[in-house]
Amino acid sequence: METVARQLVDMARSRGAADADALAIADTSESIRVRQGKPESVEREDSRGVGLRVFVDTPDGLAFASASTSDVSEPGLQQLVDQALAMARISAADPDAVPPSGAKHPETEELRAWKARHHDQAMPWSTEAALDAALACEAAALSFSPEISNSEGAEASFGLLSVAYASADGFASHYNRGSLGLALSVLAGSGTGMQRDYAYDQGRHLEDMRPAADIGREAAQRTVRRLHPDSLDSGHMTVVFEPRCAASLFGHLAGAANGRAVLQQRSFLADRVGQAIFPGFVRVLDDPDHSKGTGNRLFDGEGTRCESLTLIEDGRLQGYLTDRYAARRLGTTSTGHARRGLTGDLGIGTSNLIVEPGKIPLDELLREIGNGVLVTELMGFGVNAVTGDYSRGAAGFLIENGQVTRPVSGFTIAGNLVDMFANTIALGDDLTWFGSRAVPSIAIAGMTVACQ
Amino acid sequence: MRLTADGMHERLSTMPNHLSPENLARALNTLVPAGADDADLYLQHSTSESMSLEEGRVKHVSASTQQGVGARVVKGEVAGHAYTDRLEVPALLEAARAARTITDDRQHRPPVAIAVSPAPTALYTAANPAQDIAMPERRVLLEHVDRFARSLDPRVVQVFASLSCSHTDVHIVRIDGSELHDVRPLVRLNVSVVVEHNGRRESASAGGGGRFGLSRLFDKQQAEHLTREAVRIAVLNLEAIAAPAGSMPVVLGPGWPGILLHEAIGHGLEGDFNRKGTSAFSGRIGERVAAPGVTVVDDGTIPERRGSLTIDDEGTPTHRTVLIEDGILTGYLTDKQNARLMGMAPTGNGRRESYAHPVLPRMTNTFMLAGSHRPDDIVASLERGIYAVNFGGGQVDITSGQFVFTTSEAYLVEHGRIVAPVKEATLIGNGPEVLKHVSMIGNDLALDPGVGTCGKDGQSVPVGVGLPTIRIDRITVGGAQA
Repeated sequence: METVARQLVDMARSRGAADADALAIADTSESIRVRQGKPESVEREDSRGVGLRVFVDTPDGLAFASASTSDVSEPGLQQLVDQALAMARISAADPDAVPPSGAKHPETEELRAWKARHHDQAMPWSTEAALDAALACEAAALSFSPEISNSEGAEASFGLLSVAYASADGFASHYNRGSLGLALSVLAGSGTGMQRDYAYDQGRHLEDMRPAADIGREAAQRTVRRLHPDSLDSGHMTVVFEPRCAASLFGHLAGAANGRAVLQQRSFLADRVGQAIFPGFVRVLDDPDHSKGTGNRLFDGEGTRCESLTLIEDGRLQGYLTDRYAARRLGTTSTGHARRGLTGDLGIGTSNLIVEPGKIPLDELLREIGNGVLVTELMGFGVNAVTGDYSRGAAGFLIENGQVTRPVSGFTIAGNLVDMFANTIALGDDLTWFGSRAVPSIAIAGMTVACQ
Repeated sequence: MRLTADGMHERLSTMPNHLSPENLARALNTLVPAGADDADLYLQHSTSESMSLEEGRVKHVSASTQQGVGARVVKGEVAGHAYTDRLEVPALLEAARAARTITDDRQHRPPVAIAVSPAPTALYTAANPAQDIAMPERRVLLEHVDRFARSLDPRVVQVFASLSCSHTDVHIVRIDGSELHDVRPLVRLNVSVVVEHNGRRESASAGGGGRFGLSRLFDKQQAEHLTREAVRIAVLNLEAIAAPAGSMPVVLGPGWPGILLHEAIGHGLEGDFNRKGTSAFSGRIGERVAAPGVTVVDDGTIPERRGSLTIDDEGTPTHRTVLIEDGILTGYLTDKQNARLMGMAPTGNGRRESYAHPVLPRMTNTFMLAGSHRPDDIVASLERGIYAVNFGGGQVDITSGQFVFTTSEAYLVEHGRIVAPVKEATLIGNGPEVLKHVSMIGNDLALDPGVGTCGKDGQSVPVGVGLPTIRIDRITVGGAQA
């Protein structure tokens, strides 16, 4: 695919583009779903695609456009180049446009060393092994407790993705990334008293994965403990977010630290660099080269070398995540966070977002808190990136006298992310990886809980 | 592939010549084992274009082309799928072989020939929406939106506008060799603004679209209407106070607040969940799930709506399915596989995001029929509660029935009068219970402006919703003001 990417850039240049870069991907993947001990569905996919950005000179400066296609035949590529150039010529020139050439690319030697560690050669799983894992996962859940009454099925998936990038300044590289996932959702109870929960794991290599039966037991245990939920009293209280829910909070943090969102005045972290966002014990970093993360990368969506970045140190915001465009406008240099799909403009995103865990176990943390609510599931989209206003549906468990007591559901939690981050009481020692995010439990004081 | 409803022979110009009826028949015969209940080849070619403006400039224009084939075979509860974007005979045959593996059935059945099947009258134009307005004109419209928004209020500090259109050509070759054809246009205009006053910043957006040409969106009144809405709501939010927290009566306005039905009712009535017994509505047909007077339908047959389809992605003509009639649960939404396993007729709700996704039972346009109350009287009936006129997104847990949806324009009402706008708040309720608390239904049914996208199992499809003004006596409002 690296050849196709180079070819596209050359074609664009020879047809009049002032600058260009291209992305080419090839993806082979398979997923197997089992339910009630029997195979239910198999999906196999084999896909390729190319995306091209072209920049053209206009009297007012550079203008650009992008185009993508899954037709990688010679006529398909030619049509793509012509289409992209025609669109760029009718775009408005942007004095801040940053052409691809001249990005700070990784050195050849770095590329070689990185690939030695992260370049995957083969499909990480076989159909038979994936099927066995899915069956074992579901069986472990169904036999966990007589209260497990039904299954939505277990799904095992795996694939090998090849990503190639080429820029008009001569830089070109590619890498392959394997992936596997195993997920299960089961039900407990009956009629109007049914509850459901899930568990999953994902990684790049088979050895990264938890045993299938462990995932099955976790899904069953999570589901059974939710049976017969109570309501709770509305009011202000401390909310503890389990790692899987805490991960979304730090996702909101990363979203607000997106340099493009800051420029567009669509971030509650605008103008907050250097300020205390969290208490001093909080540290958050983005690490593009971590043995456990699925978000490893050596260069970003515009070929810029990725480096480790500390987002929050001693509770203070250290800077924004940028691509070269946002960096130019903000007067800094790119942090290597350009995110790119085949279609559309560049975006900005994290690689592996890691929150440094606290020192105390979750049960000790709950004892210190005394009373509150432990949130194990969040629902809905009530998060305002501009203001930080936060209001979401939730389910979880009551914390009474330092102990987790009863399941509760059908309530909302509300606040404002600026206040919520500032009101962080503690982080647990239970750092948990969710693909490209690693997050511990977090306890936040003074949230508003509403219930029937 | 030739075929249209009126018998004209028209090759799909975007498909390579070698995908002839003979080669499709070969692929179908490779795909289908003797014991199969169902099978199809789904050939798709889509083009899309989008243009976006920020800071007064069209900063990005993009286009994409997607093509490929999905081969599927179904036997009992088991389904095999294979997807390829290589529109070549060997790749097609390989996909057909891969898809059938799971059926573990080596017997072949007698070969069938491909025959064009007449499709129902199309609900939308087959013309490519991109072709009726050229790109430079689109740029002029977006620039007009920007200037117009800024002229409406000096507090507008950012304007984002985008215009997108797509054109999808679908051929479905069914197990019996019948071939159906559908061409689906889709357009969308979106306007969002950020406003700032005394250091406080708020935002809002408005959008509209459907299955028609871009020229419809070029009615300046339409673009200006959306722009005015975005600015109005953003400015209103500058004054918003924290929403109350707790259980209270809520009045929902007409149109997009119909997302209530999509989350509270619609997903729970999708056939896959009910066949498997995982929905809070499983086995409850004939039971009362809503107050008398509440009738909810899913209707994929409304011309030019975003959620409409002439045929679904299995070739079944779409229907108008009554889900709840006068408060009683009457129907589920099905694709062919779930309908067969449940002993029901397919309702034309088998949908897939693309050739590279499996078919699932999905909604089309879901709405409540109008009642007889005047909307003003419904709002005036609130002693203390929330009047929610517009919403962002929602979500449901179909097993417990818990659902949420979040306001984007709402007001605190006391003694029947609007007191103040409130900040966005998530409303949470239980699907099988919430409609039992509907006590007034307005005479002002409206469908949404054409903005909905529904996600399920990682697949996104365009949908519509609709609602008359209604009063719900009790629902939990998740404001920050305890």
